[in-house]
Amino acid sequence: MSKKSIVAKKSKKAAGKSPSTAKPKTASRMSPKAAYSIATSSKKTVRERVAAMSLVPMAATESEEKPQAVMNLVRNTAEPLKVRLAALQSLAAASFSAEGFDSWRGDYIATLRAVAEDPELEMRQRALGLLAREQDGFAQKKLLEGLQHPEKALLPPEKALQLISYDVHAEAYAVARDIVEKPPNPDAKREALRLLAADAKAAPLFEKLLRDKDETREVRQISASALQTLKPEKLQEHAREMLLDKSEFDDIQATSLTAITQFGDEESIAKDDKLLKSVDRFSASKAPAKYKQSARRFVSKYSK
Amino acid sequence: MPNVAEASAYTEPQFAALVDALASDPERGEQLIELLREDHPSYDQRGTATTVRMRGWVLVALARTGVSDAALLFVLEELDTGVSAYLVAAAARALRSYQNPHPSFAPFVMRALTNIRYHDELVSFAEYGEYATSSTGTSAVRELLATLEWLGPLARGVIDELETLRAERGGLAKKLQRELSQASVAIRGDESSDPPPSDTCCSLPNVLRNPFSWALGSRRGCEPIEETRFEDQDGGSITFRECFRGQPTIVVFFYTRCDNPLKCSLTIARLATMQKLLEAKGLADQINTAAITYDPAYDHSERINRYGQKRGVRMDDHHRMLRAPDGLEPIRRHFRLGVNFIESLVNRHRVEVYILDREGGIAASFERIRWDEEQVVERAIEVLNETGPDAAPERASEQPPHRSVRKPVVPVLGMLASLAVAFFPKCPICWAAYMSMFGIAGLNQVPYSPWLQPVLVAVMLINLASVWFRARSTGRMTPFYLVAAGALAIIASKLGIGLESAAMAGVLLTFLGSFLSALNAKRWAVSGGR
Repeated sequence: MSKKSIVAKKSKKAAGKSPSTAKPKTASRMSPKAAYSIATSSKKTVRERVAAMSLVPMAATESEEKPQAVMNLVRNTAEPLKVRLAALQSLAAASFSAEGFDSWRGDYIATLRAVAEDPELEMRQRALGLLAREQDGFAQKKLLEGLQHPEKALLPPEKALQLISYDVHAEAYAVARDIVEKPPNPDAKREALRLLAADAKAAPLFEKLLRDKDETREVRQISASALQTLKPEKLQEHAREMLLDKSEFDDIQATSLTAITQFGDEESIAKDDKLLKSVDRFSASKAPAKYKQSARRFVSKYSK
Repeated sequence: MPNVAEASAYTEPQFAALVDALASDPERGEQLIELLREDHPSYDQRGTATTVRMRGWVLVALARTGVSDAALLFVLEELDTGVSAYLVAAAARALRSYQNPHPSFAPFVMRALTNIRYHDELVSFAEYGEYATSSTGTSAVRELLATLEWLGPLARGVIDELETLRAERGGLAKKLQRELSQASVAIRGDESSDPPPSDTCCSLPNVLRNPFSWALGSRRGCEPIEETRFEDQDGGSITFRECFRGQPTIVVFFYTRCDNPLKCSLTIARLATMQKLLEAKGLADQINTAAITYDPAYDHSERINRYGQKRGVRMDDHHRMLRAPDGLEPIRRHFRLGVNFIESLVNRHRVEVYILDREGGIAASFERIRWDEEQVVERAIEVLNETGPDAAPERASEQPPHRSVRKPVVPVLGMLASLAVAFFPKCPICWAAYMSMFGIAGLNQVPYSPWLQPVLVAVMLINLASVWFRARSTGRMTPFYLVAAGALAIIASKLGIGLESAAMAGVLLTFLGSFLSALNAKRWAVSGGR
């Protein structure tokens, strides 16, 4: 049987199925107008509407009503969550790519703020994520409130910290330090440390964590990277020691190697046989290829 | 009763209550302006979003009470460089409460429209800190269009720009067409009527008429910070005294994490332009430039170096990017910087450029409103050339004598030396011959001093060198060639090779060259070295 006839049989079968079980028409074969009609129609199945929603960004700027209708759909808690999330995603896509969407930017931001307090966690998380990328004051206020008063939290602390870290100018350092001190969970501590990596005053904290071998590998790696950004000379002070330590983690040794390569005194490195041997050993270890490559470059640069 | 002095300890609702109280009290209304200063303690340790809410509320209050001349600068600044829709909307609304609308406001409104149209948001002024969550209400672009409508025919200078924006695909939101048309109609007004008078400079608000603070001759008393240490873009250490004493300096402030493209990034790009202007005028080694970071804890030397390089900044001994590794506080007090912080991070700052005189004192400053590179350079040249007693009182004792004093003296001495070398007597008999010209009576008093000849040759060569230096700085080499030829002729006449008659030609060439050299130097000084 030819391929064509197989496809024809399959499509006949699909046509015979009920609307709820039929495979939805591929979005790419739909016109934006048709996609918009399907996406906003409550008579269609959730699956069909979600599939059609991917073409809505192109239709959104065709008329005054269309974007507003999609925004209303996002706000409408009576609609299925999957459809609302797909609608939100199509609006976000339109905000990046569709010409003429600027007309709707104000309404779009207002819609995101409205659903930032939605009963559904996933909707809140998506909306706050989009607002946080815009460095929106409303989102920052809500996220900070939630971190300071967990009973008001719209998102788990680790997610709130991650979103608030998009803007270095948000007043989040104090609350992040409190979380590092008394973390509600390990993920929250990790995110708080990532946020503090932009705080110039946090260098002593990262120095302490980096030297503490009882800390997790992830916390120590974040500390090494943060120190590299905030006080490279401090990382360099400890880098040699960590490179000589055979029990040290690969990624921490790799960061240490970067610190020494960038900020080390070339003359003293070239004379430091112990260090060169250690890096040579590292280049032949089971570390990931990119780390070994850095080590090889280092050795070839400084070996006599 | 809430008061401004205690505002630093207030919570946001308390601050809002203070602003409302000031706005409703005609006797205290002017205190609102104090709350717009970036360095006001109220903004200390607040995040940027909180600062936006607080300042926005002050602008909203000003819109109710009416913007005074003193508050106008803050309102225009927000339109000029603001990127927050809430603040721009509040500033546009506040401007409409100013009693004397002026054509000079239109470019500010138009600039704000261009800047904010891709970041427009719905805003709410109903309550403090309220964020719009519904599609009703106003927006920054709506407020700006309403302000253009308020300006009416006074905004005719920007009508073409507005129409271009209207016609441009994706220029302004379709749903704003009604407001856009209203603004356009108001601006065009009765087109048969006369346009607003063009000689409006006399009615120009003070803040626009004079963009400088502290005119020349009235040095601002500032805290001495001579030993304050800086680190430059290469990690080199230098004190304030070493960096800013001796030559005038143009100083700008920035920080690499500034996310307002109309502030720090633009300031540093403009610094590069000013450096090029100085180079073109041959003044790049007479007027220094410096860019100091507000964020020294984060902005390491490598980071500021990279930031400067990306924006085309020249960096050398006269032009530096600086950080204060021991903290910004002394510099903040010295310049009275318009900046505030949350921990070590800037929460808001104004645009500020300073011109320091040879003593490191602040001779002029440009604040808030976007500045023009040529204007700043011109003012720096004035500082370079200033001679008045008010300019730098201590300078006389520390600086070398002013060029205008040295100029006539050196050429005259040089010419006399050349003359003396040319006609220097070979022996006591020659002395006698000379003296016979002046009378035999003095013959017995004539000292014959052969050592004098090499001294005079040395003075002649010094004159030659002086003319060469002057020729190099003015770019006119003819005087040097004349004096050099003169010197060669005089020396040749003394070598006993039958060229004695060249002495007279040598003297004439030296006279002519020295005279031209002095004349060029005087003209050059008057033109400010251009």
